[in-house]
Amino acid sequence: MKLLRFTLAAAMAATLTGGAVSAQEETSASTLYGDLSHVTQDMLDRAAGDGNNFLHTNGNYHQTRYYPARQINTDNVRGLRPAWIFQTEIVDTMETSPIVVNGIMYVTTAFNHVYALDARTGRQIWHHKHNMGPVTTYCCGPNNRGVAVSGDRVFMGTLDAKLVALDAKTGKQLWETQIADPELGYSETMAPTVVNDMVLIGTNGGEYGIRGFVKAFDAATGELKWTFHTIPENSVGVWATHDATGRDMLRDIEAEKAALAKMGDPYETLGGGVWQNPAVDLETNRIYFVVGNPSPDLDGSLRPGDNLYTDSLVAVDMNTGEYICHFQYIAHDVWDLDAVSPPIITTVKDGGGNDVKGILHAGKTGYVYVHKADDCSLIRFSEPMVSQEGRWTLPTAEGARMLPGANGGVEWSPMAIDPNLHLSYAINLHQPMTYTVKSSPYPEGKLWLGGSFDVIPEEEQWGNVSAVDYNTGKIRWKVRTEQPMIGGILATAGGLVFTGEGNGLFKAYDSATGSELWRFQAGAGVNAPPSSYTVDGKQYIVVAAGGNAQLNYKRGNNIIAFTLAD
Amino acid sequence: MRHLAALISASLAATPAVAQDAFVLEDAVALCATCHGEEGKPIDPEYPIIWGEQYFYIYTQLRDFAAGRRASDVMTPMAAQFSRDQMKAIAEYFAARPWPTIEASMEEGDAAIAEKGITGGQCSACHGKWQGDSRIPRLAGRQPGYLRKTMHDFKNEVRTNAPDKTSTMKQLDDQTIDALARYLATL
Repeated sequence: MKLLRFTLAAAMAATLTGGAVSAQEETSASTLYGDLSHVTQDMLDRAAGDGNNFLHTNGNYHQTRYYPARQINTDNVRGLRPAWIFQTEIVDTMETSPIVVNGIMYVTTAFNHVYALDARTGRQIWHHKHNMGPVTTYCCGPNNRGVAVSGDRVFMGTLDAKLVALDAKTGKQLWETQIADPELGYSETMAPTVVNDMVLIGTNGGEYGIRGFVKAFDAATGELKWTFHTIPENSVGVWATHDATGRDMLRDIEAEKAALAKMGDPYETLGGGVWQNPAVDLETNRIYFVVGNPSPDLDGSLRPGDNLYTDSLVAVDMNTGEYICHFQYIAHDVWDLDAVSPPIITTVKDGGGNDVKGILHAGKTGYVYVHKADDCSLIRFSEPMVSQEGRWTLPTAEGARMLPGANGGVEWSPMAIDPNLHLSYAINLHQPMTYTVKSSPYPEGKLWLGGSFDVIPEEEQWGNVSAVDYNTGKIRWKVRTEQPMIGGILATAGGLVFTGEGNGLFKAYDSATGSELWRFQAGAGVNAPPSSYTVDGKQYIVVAAGGNAQLNYKRGNNIIAFTLAD
Repeated sequence: MRHLAALISASLAATPAVAQDAFVLEDAVALCATCHGEEGKPIDPEYPIIWGEQYFYIYTQLRDFAAGRRASDVMTPMAAQFSRDQMKAIAEYFAARPWPTIEASMEEGDAAIAEKGITGGQCSACHGKWQGDSRIPRLAGRQPGYLRKTMHDFKNEVRTNAPDKTSTMKQLDDQTIDALARYLATL
């Protein structure tokens, strides 16, 4: 290991001396880390300990968003200043997680532009604009949450439901493959995940009556390797009456059974999108992901049964896509309080106080759920991070108030953890809504909510940053923010968590106490997950400030990298 | 004006010039222009602008008119004469035209009322920055009369080809709809 570290250090020294290109030429390709710009599987595997790069959307395969570098820390974060600001061509909603490979940063914008930037300076290296087809169908803004990297390639899903592979050095498209039919409501906003030369990606479309999936494609060719349908042909389940937190969901089981006998299993248009990346367990060759809401969102009359595997944590075999286990949080959801924030793998205490491999997920209900990884079973759920008012209240024709609203709790925003503090960090929305149901038949690819969920503008809305001890379920600290929060969060070994707000503020908190230690006004909504990296001996924090379409936060087009003032 | 459109529609039904076996794009779009305007500005404040509208939105609306999902005495018989490929050709033609400039203004207090309505209905989740995209229609710079009529038609279930809009619009009172129509028209 010492030898390997020396090799890496030597290569970094070459980088410092001669710049990126010459460093690549001088570094032996036979080192464990290759030429540093070529992303090996080993680099991807070890990303959790890599304080130079940021190789995965959520930091590493376990999706901890815990960055190991500590140059920026609680003692000096007050000296954090913008190092550079890059302005993209598209002034619109930004959800990208910057990916950094050996001093090169890859970011995406709305409508599927990709930029490669010099992570030291923000200088543009290349710009790729996806040749968008005429048909796109997407919910919640023309978003993109970033790229995946492997080898010399960059991968992106597109709004017209394609997967594209680009040359990492030039931005030139190498291949594209059609994942599904956008006319039927399929689209891609999530970043892919690459593992063992497979590109894994889910789909949007739970608001359009799709049949959801996770697919694996060959990273070299784009050829489909396997498909896991998130909606099995038998989606009925066990007729669960209570949700994961033990509350009665007020289902009329007899009416549902009668409807099932009449109309059959609704699996073909039952939704079940997968909005976010799977967590990858390299020890067991499993992936864990969460499945979104059933279609139509608010109208359960057309979809009797538990609607498996909507609103669930699901594990499948990474190499074959075969089902392993699942846990459904809400059966027969009629509130769109589904499962979207990406799961995290980490060691947790089980009910007997033993360390076990666990899965964390922040539900739109506003709870952190803690599972056993081996069988997906629930160990515990946390205290609620947001008020629970009227849960559950069935939607009505006139509209019925409930909190959380349909944006959650916690939206798609990824959590971060600090494994030393055994804390998970989530960003929350306090946003009461009225839930209205109005039945309408499957509209062949058009929006199919089965009613509407409407914000109550007269009621106060706000957000929280919450730290939950996942070994006890107790909230350690909670900080209120001016607006409901959407975007993401990053924890670092410097004892910090970073997250942004719709009003343009980007803040650093003490990860142990929640004390606010630093803030910056970005001028547009900071509603994207931050990343970190180290280059030329300096640690940076980087985040997109482009606002958010879903919550109508002020749009912008900035990628802002921060480092400590000299 | 609506009477004129009905007459045009009736005459179209009996005219072979745009029948499927002799489709001439120029004739079809000239017919559209009689109501939607020679230079993209409709002849009636409640008619939609189709110059510069999204291709896929125009196409899906023509399909919905033809199938009766969007009921219209004028548009249904007109659209029903076209094949899907002909509808696509018409949609492509108009999508490539420039969006016309229309005159619109807000009244005092409109912006605040409209923005409150937008927050409540979460309108920007689909309509983004109001320019439209693919199957989402452009709202910015539309005629306020058309916007107002459309919101009321959704609310009153006169227009039913986007059924979720009914639930959303029922949450909005008339004052908010009026303010929204003027606000969006001026963007």
